[in-house]
Amino acid sequence: MAMSYIGSDILARELKKGSAELLILSLVEHQPRHGYDIGSLIEQRSGGVLRFNVASLYPLLYRLERRGWIQGRWVEQAGQRRRRYYRLTAEGKKVLAAQRHTWREFVEAIGRITDMEHA
Amino acid sequence: MRLSPTRESEIVEELAQHLEDRYEQARRWGASEEEAYRAASQELTESDLLAQGLKLFERPARVEPIAPGTPRRFGMLGDFGHDLRYGVRTLWKNKSFTAVAVVALALGIGANSAIFSVVNTVLLRPLPYKEPERLVMVWEDNSKIGYPRDTPAPANYADWRDQNQVFEGMAATADQSFNLTGAGEPERFDGKRVSANFFSLLGVEPQLGRGFMPEEDLNGANRVVVLSHGLWQRRFGSDAGLLGKTVTLNGEPYTVVGVMPQGFQFLNEDVGMWVPIAFTPQQANNRNSHYLKVVARLRPGVTVERAQAEMSTIATRLQQQYPDANTDLGAGVVSLHEEVVGDIRPALLVLLGAVGFVLLVACANVANLLLARAAVRQKEIALRTALGASRLRIVRQFLTESVLLAAVGGLVGLLLSVWGVTLLRSFIPENISQVKAISVDARVLGFTVLVTLLTGLVFGLAPALQASRFNLNETLKEGGRDAAAARGGNRIRGLLVVAEVAVSLVLLVGAGLLINSFMRLRNVDPGFRTENLLTMGVVLPQQKYPDAARRAAFYTDMIRRVEALPGVRSAAVTNWIPLVSQGDSIGVTIEGQPAPTGKPHIIVTRVVSPHYFDAMGIQLLQGRGFEEGRDRVDSPCVVVVSEAVARKYWPNESPLGKRLAPGTVETEADWCQVVGLVRDVRQFELAAESKPLMYLSYGQAGFFAPRHLVVKTEGDPLALAGTVRKTVWEVDRDQPVSNIRTMEDVLAESIARQRFSTLLLGVFAGVALVLAAVGIYGVMSYSMAQRTREIGIRMALGASKWHVLKLAVGQGLKLVAVGVGLGLAGAFALTRLMSSLLYGVSATDPATLVTISLVLVAVALLASYLPARRAAKVDPLIALRYE
Repeated sequence: MAMSYIGSDILARELKKGSAELLILSLVEHQPRHGYDIGSLIEQRSGGVLRFNVASLYPLLYRLERRGWIQGRWVEQAGQRRRRYYRLTAEGKKVLAAQRHTWREFVEAIGRITDMEHA
Repeated sequence: MRLSPTRESEIVEELAQHLEDRYEQARRWGASEEEAYRAASQELTESDLLAQGLKLFERPARVEPIAPGTPRRFGMLGDFGHDLRYGVRTLWKNKSFTAVAVVALALGIGANSAIFSVVNTVLLRPLPYKEPERLVMVWEDNSKIGYPRDTPAPANYADWRDQNQVFEGMAATADQSFNLTGAGEPERFDGKRVSANFFSLLGVEPQLGRGFMPEEDLNGANRVVVLSHGLWQRRFGSDAGLLGKTVTLNGEPYTVVGVMPQGFQFLNEDVGMWVPIAFTPQQANNRNSHYLKVVARLRPGVTVERAQAEMSTIATRLQQQYPDANTDLGAGVVSLHEEVVGDIRPALLVLLGAVGFVLLVACANVANLLLARAAVRQKEIALRTALGASRLRIVRQFLTESVLLAAVGGLVGLLLSVWGVTLLRSFIPENISQVKAISVDARVLGFTVLVTLLTGLVFGLAPALQASRFNLNETLKEGGRDAAAARGGNRIRGLLVVAEVAVSLVLLVGAGLLINSFMRLRNVDPGFRTENLLTMGVVLPQQKYPDAARRAAFYTDMIRRVEALPGVRSAAVTNWIPLVSQGDSIGVTIEGQPAPTGKPHIIVTRVVSPHYFDAMGIQLLQGRGFEEGRDRVDSPCVVVVSEAVARKYWPNESPLGKRLAPGTVETEADWCQVVGLVRDVRQFELAAESKPLMYLSYGQAGFFAPRHLVVKTEGDPLALAGTVRKTVWEVDRDQPVSNIRTMEDVLAESIARQRFSTLLLGVFAGVALVLAAVGIYGVMSYSMAQRTREIGIRMALGASKWHVLKLAVGQGLKLVAVGVGLGLAGAFALTRLMSSLLYGVSATDPATLVTISLVLVAVALLASYLPARRAAKVDPLIALRYE
């Protein structure tokens, strides 16, 4: 963890939790991806700041699927074990748009407050 | 947590896929196997979180609570179906593993089914008669002179039959050969004279016509014949119109009254025809000629023991009544089944035990494979445990997989056994006649299913328990392969190797003993030379050649013509060639050595023509053989004796000039003088010590008619067969010639059973040896792969390749040594059971035990050397790179 003073752990975890759904929905927006792909992309693109392991990633995926926002499908490829690919559903698309909007507003709001103090 | 089985397996599959990706990526980035494994395992920290997280979102499988007392059958079945589907998928995914396991199991199970089908047919299937369990053989018990099951004399048979209260009926049979002449080539057949009630006593009706009437069982009224199905088919084209017609047997007309059904047989004897036994008054009162085989049917509820007790009482009474003939003569009752299968039973049971052992070795091998794979499957098991699967659940999943594997193996094995049975049928000596009926029936199927299930459980249990004992936390903390669970796996694998070596050793020792004993048997000097020796039956019909003079005339002419043929060195006749008959021994009077009352000197007698010793290559030690024109019916009787006779009656002196007489001495002319001494021959069987044997000239001894012609040839004896037969027909165109064989074939046939057991046990032991070698190799390879880093360190610290080799091979040898120790103990205990199959070697023959142990150790050494050499080639830098 990058943060070192008391309370930073908790903040990071809460932020991660709050943003997780949005991250997953975004990653499957344009193409279906399997769980490992999703986990690796989150880690890569966040430069290692965000990491989900099996125990945290899959319950999330199953939750999103249960809500009908994403849909998993087994895909078999020649010479490989079959994998479960997740894609965004129509409803998921709406949720993604709404969450994206909310997140942007939130970040801007936070930014305005925190940046102003430092400016 | 209870998920629907389908959902659970999907989740497991998806998560396992993820972990595998993680592992492989770590490896791609250069992590060691161990580090990669640790990285993958780390994904599972907070595994309780996973279970909780899933619990929140996944719907439990059963919403309604189970009412107490409701059987959870549906759930169990559903789970089983799931286990099965999951098992099929797992096996399908690991095709090469599955293939190897299935081949090993199919070999093991197939061999078991094949041998069991023989055991089933020969030992278990009831004999093909009505209520066969009530049929017994009754023998004269002449144990005092070494014949506990001797053939009874007619007068004794009649007394038994009339005095007993335990049998519903009793029938006598006697051997008789028939020359069938008339239409087509003359042919000779083995036939039987039987009591009129013989067929009804056995409860088998003729397929056509009828059996014998009581009034036909009287001397003079007995010119009726019942034919075997085979003879009727082959010789008479299955002509139903044959009934009531006459055929010519031994020169006399017989009316055909019946044809027996196909496959009808008694005591495994191949018989072409039956005629009524119809004793003459003289025969019926005879207590001195012992030649009958007597079968009887117990009254309902009477046991063999009770019948034995009563027959012993009767026999004792007869001893007192007829002290001359019946002293020391008892009666023995043996169940017909025991009589038929008694001889072959030990060999079959040893073979059944042997294939059982082969299957055990196969099981150990597959268990080893499964164990190695269980280690690889730790991730999957960790996941399932994390998902809340109980230990029982995991054991069940593994067992389902192993039973499934066994089932596939069993199915292939069954196919193999059908093929194996066909193969066996052609290997089994023909004198075990039930063999023709060997097939894969419902009982064999049941046996196979049972063996398959047991097999699946046996080889599946160790890996299943091993897998379920796998401890998630420990694995995660310690980072995988070096964890205690893996060490436990090594221990079980070690035990399996020990067991494999031990079981293989027992098998190899068994096979080694049989091979050793068979080789000794083959190397027994029979006392005669088998090379270039043609044998055939030329039996003159009694009616056409009623006396010795006419027979001698025929044979003298025949021998002269045969010896004149190009390529023939010498020819001779005898009543029995060696190794085909136990018969024709007589009581003799020996000058100066009165026999104790009722115990005549019994000597096996062969009546031969002058060149017999030449043709057979029997060495003349002293005196002379018989000479043409010299030992005739009107010249003084002479006899040639074997060494055993000389040893027994004239120890330490020359037998030449001594006198003996067949039967009793009425006049001085009854004495025969010993003129020659010949080497002992194995007259009855190779394995039996030579009994006293005397030779009489066919020109002088009328009581045993010659039956066999032997021809010593320059080259291949069979090439002359046709010419010799034609020559016989030149003398008498109606004279049948039968059973043309080389003496080498006769000898080979006499030890066909031993060859059969030896061959099969040898093959089984070989399979076990290969399986054991593969097992040792597998375990050592696995163990070496695990120890790569340790070996790297040792080499970096200066250990030489030689050291590493010694270390690795030493590990293998330790296991093998324990296995050999246990195996020797087992062999010591078990091979005693086969002592009845051995000739000339003890069941604990030290040379065999030592040789076999060395062979096994050598194979084991090789099997552990190969992986060790690979380990020693490891570059220390590579082994240590990631440390």
